[in-house]
Amino acid sequence: MPIKVPWLKGVFPALVTPFVRKTEEVDEEAYRRLIRSCLPHVDGLVTSGTTGEFPYLTREEQRRLIVIGVEEAGGKPVVAGCGASSTQEALTLARDAKDAGASAALIVTPYFLHPSDKGVYQHFYDIATGVDLPIILYNIPQVMDRYLPRTVVEDLADLPNVIGLKDSSGNLTYTMELLEYAGDRIDIFIGHDEVVLPALAGGVSGMILASAQVYPEVWQEVIRLVGEGKLAEARARQRSVQKLSRIFCRYGGGVAVKAALKMMGLDMGPPRKPLKAVGGALIHETRAEIRLELEKLGQIPVEETAFEYPSGPLTERFGDLEITPETIDAHDLRVGSGVTGEGLNKVQIDLVAGSKETPLGDAYALQLTYPLHGREALTTILEPALTVRPATLLLPQLSQKNLRQANMIYGPTQSALARAIVDALEAGRIPPAAVDDEVMIALATVHPRALDRHALHQSVYAAATQALAQAFADAREEG
Amino acid sequence: MGYKTEWFKGIFPALVTPFSADDKLDEAAYRELIRFVLPHVDGVVPCGTTGEFSYMTLEERKRAVEVCLDEVNERVPVVAGTGCTSTRETVALTQWARDAGATGALVVAPYFLKPTFNEVYDHYKAVDRVGLPIVLYNIPQCAGTHFKWWTAEGGLLDFDNTIGIKDSSGDLPFLDAMFEKVKGKVSIFVGHDEVVQPAFAAGADGAILASANLIPDVWQRVYRATQEGDLETAQHWQQRVQKLVRIIVRCSSTQAVKEGLRMMGIPVGDSRHPIMPGGGFKREDYEELRLQLEALGKIAPANVVYDLGERQVETQLPATPQTPRTISGFTLKVGEGFAGPPFQELAHVDLLLGLKDGPVGRAIERAMEEWGEERGLRIIVERPCTLLVPTVTIRTAKQRRLFYEHAAEGVNLAIRLSIEDGFLPAAILDDVVLIANVFVHPAASIAKRVEFNNYKATRHAIRKALEGRPTVEELIREKAAARHPFRYAP
Repeated sequence: MPIKVPWLKGVFPALVTPFVRKTEEVDEEAYRRLIRSCLPHVDGLVTSGTTGEFPYLTREEQRRLIVIGVEEAGGKPVVAGCGASSTQEALTLARDAKDAGASAALIVTPYFLHPSDKGVYQHFYDIATGVDLPIILYNIPQVMDRYLPRTVVEDLADLPNVIGLKDSSGNLTYTMELLEYAGDRIDIFIGHDEVVLPALAGGVSGMILASAQVYPEVWQEVIRLVGEGKLAEARARQRSVQKLSRIFCRYGGGVAVKAALKMMGLDMGPPRKPLKAVGGALIHETRAEIRLELEKLGQIPVEETAFEYPSGPLTERFGDLEITPETIDAHDLRVGSGVTGEGLNKVQIDLVAGSKETPLGDAYALQLTYPLHGREALTTILEPALTVRPATLLLPQLSQKNLRQANMIYGPTQSALARAIVDALEAGRIPPAAVDDEVMIALATVHPRALDRHALHQSVYAAATQALAQAFADAREEG
Repeated sequence: MGYKTEWFKGIFPALVTPFSADDKLDEAAYRELIRFVLPHVDGVVPCGTTGEFSYMTLEERKRAVEVCLDEVNERVPVVAGTGCTSTRETVALTQWARDAGATGALVVAPYFLKPTFNEVYDHYKAVDRVGLPIVLYNIPQCAGTHFKWWTAEGGLLDFDNTIGIKDSSGDLPFLDAMFEKVKGKVSIFVGHDEVVQPAFAAGADGAILASANLIPDVWQRVYRATQEGDLETAQHWQQRVQKLVRIIVRCSSTQAVKEGLRMMGIPVGDSRHPIMPGGGFKREDYEELRLQLEALGKIAPANVVYDLGERQVETQLPATPQTPRTISGFTLKVGEGFAGPPFQELAHVDLLLGLKDGPVGRAIERAMEEWGEERGLRIIVERPCTLLVPTVTIRTAKQRRLFYEHAAEGVNLAIRLSIEDGFLPAAILDDVVLIANVFVHPAASIAKRVEFNNYKATRHAIRKALEGRPTVEELIREKAAARHPFRYAP
């Protein structure tokens, strides 16, 4: 019967592999820096896993990563990713790992040519009996397009060299099944950052995670709290990293982890092609979100910006549009303002509406010719291709310094303003004649560090509704 | 052994079920639709998937079949959709259809609770006993079960009254296995509009199609040409309608067909909820479906007057019944267009159209004088004078190329084609000017998609600006359900 190894528990980061820009060579010094940064908080290391872009690494490169890992690990175990689609190649990599001093080999389900269950069993059997090194099975259907069948795991768990399984599926019904049928003989590790807490509560021994090189200390706390039965606190910790974990798991993988590390001062270079550092699986919008979450987590400092909500007479707030109090008066323009929300969710909407034939029509057209100044105006839409009427421009009052800030304006702010306008239309507050004859421009002041989209949406809706009510207060009499 | 029946072949539209504004079965519209398709078809199918059978009460389904039988008046076969989730209901409705005089029944695989093969087998066995000719109906996209091999010999098709199968999967290897095993014994119908011609060429006996509500004549040509061995003609027509039918099959077919019919002047209402306008059939799909119907000559040009204030211009353009016959307010018109995928190459165009001596003309003049060069503005078309404005900062050579070459070419093409189709008549090109504020994502790579998406978005935006769409009614109807893509966190 196999015996569980004592060291296979706790937090293991699935290390990214740093590359030099342009040449794409492995950056060994960066690798050492990365290991040193997370070593105090982890129980072991994993080299050339999925996060480490193993399919893009040569045999020699994988061997070097293990050697460096062992040199830097200070005696902690180093698990070597030895994934390959052919049995022979996986076996070769596992033998290399043994020679390089690895504590175990992490072997992914064979991929690409879809072997049968028999073929999958034989693959792991050949490796477990062909090298004198503990083996950890690895299930990651998101990239391999198949599960490691539970019945196969059940049999493989009898092999003396098979000591564990990493399950990255995130499918807890599968994880529970593994614990039920193989948990007595091998250690089950969770490999999906979004479900660490439920998996730990369910009985897994530890975790191999991409995010364990970004916030390993959070995971150590979750383990400790679960061990002490403090589930409420454990939940709070898991939740504090839920969005980042989701981004790492679903919206960019290792590429997103590298982006996060770079923000924290650990530049691991770009991924190897065809992956893109940004603009591929990791889109710019999501990268902006990573920064915000790291700020919230205290992993990077918050940039404070000084700004003010506009004050003073309402008619004087539209100077940027070249709309003066005199213009407003001379052309009977409607103005209204609304302020709602607290703290980061405080929002102010200053609105001007009026006939297209007035200087407001000119201001409207002019705004759309005036890009690249950080305060680009956009047409207000309920959703793409669903433009509100009367046609309305949304203009951010503060300069948009980053994409995340812009996302708050062009996402929740825009959609809430749109909803407020259409609700006012339906309620008859905006007279039917205005639909074709008038235009509106809304100046939105949103806190530059606003981050709760839901709260922001509610604040903007309320502020815009106030502003519309004030601007169209006399409209009923006109109608 | 030959075919069990001779009548089950050719083109059968899966009729939409018209609903009135108060969501009742609109019998008059139903009759009008049947009269429209009848000259081109070999039979009709009331209450199929496209007929929204799953959103109708049993009473409504019966009434629709009655109206259909009455209007058809035995001129062509009527194959009524009688499938339900339970065997008990399916048998009862099929018995009713038999007694009402239907020629046959189209019976969908029992769905939702995903019965196993032997349970499905017994289901159809019970339905077969009703005595009405039965057509099996494989539509895994909706039913969640795929008939696969077991519809072959020794299976369901051996039942006495089971005369055919409709396969809507689009799975040609499956269809080929059907030909291999049961060709010539039962009628094998294709139900996926995108693969009609290859299925005919390989031996399908007919087609039951959503798009046959709109273009029964085209499908009749494909069918006849294949029968006559003229594959070239059959391929030609399949290709001509490929985009049209792709939109229908993949973008909420019931709503797509209904909106297409409405554009063609055959009002049949909207789909029942939860299918809704602007849902699976998105606004950009509406514009593209309309362009496809125009290209086939299904939407006729009409005279529209443009009231420029000082003078009026008459133009002929492909108008839908919703197009205003007089368009005014040329001081400033706002149109928005959106087209994708892929995400990084999607196009979003904020378009202004207005008189040269109005706000739009003045804005162009001033912008070009004061900051045009510095901020990368360009006049890309002389008539009508069109200013191209980048929505986001252009930083790299690649972005510059994608914007000024490819996005610009897309905008340009949209304007050229809008001049050709009459939306921008020659007589207004010196009076009217355009501002196209165009978004190209900083991570865009695929030049041709940038070009094509910007063509689409701009062409849509021009039409929407002129026709005053979306309307207030549309906005109010969809405001609660609207899904703004950037409103939510990743």
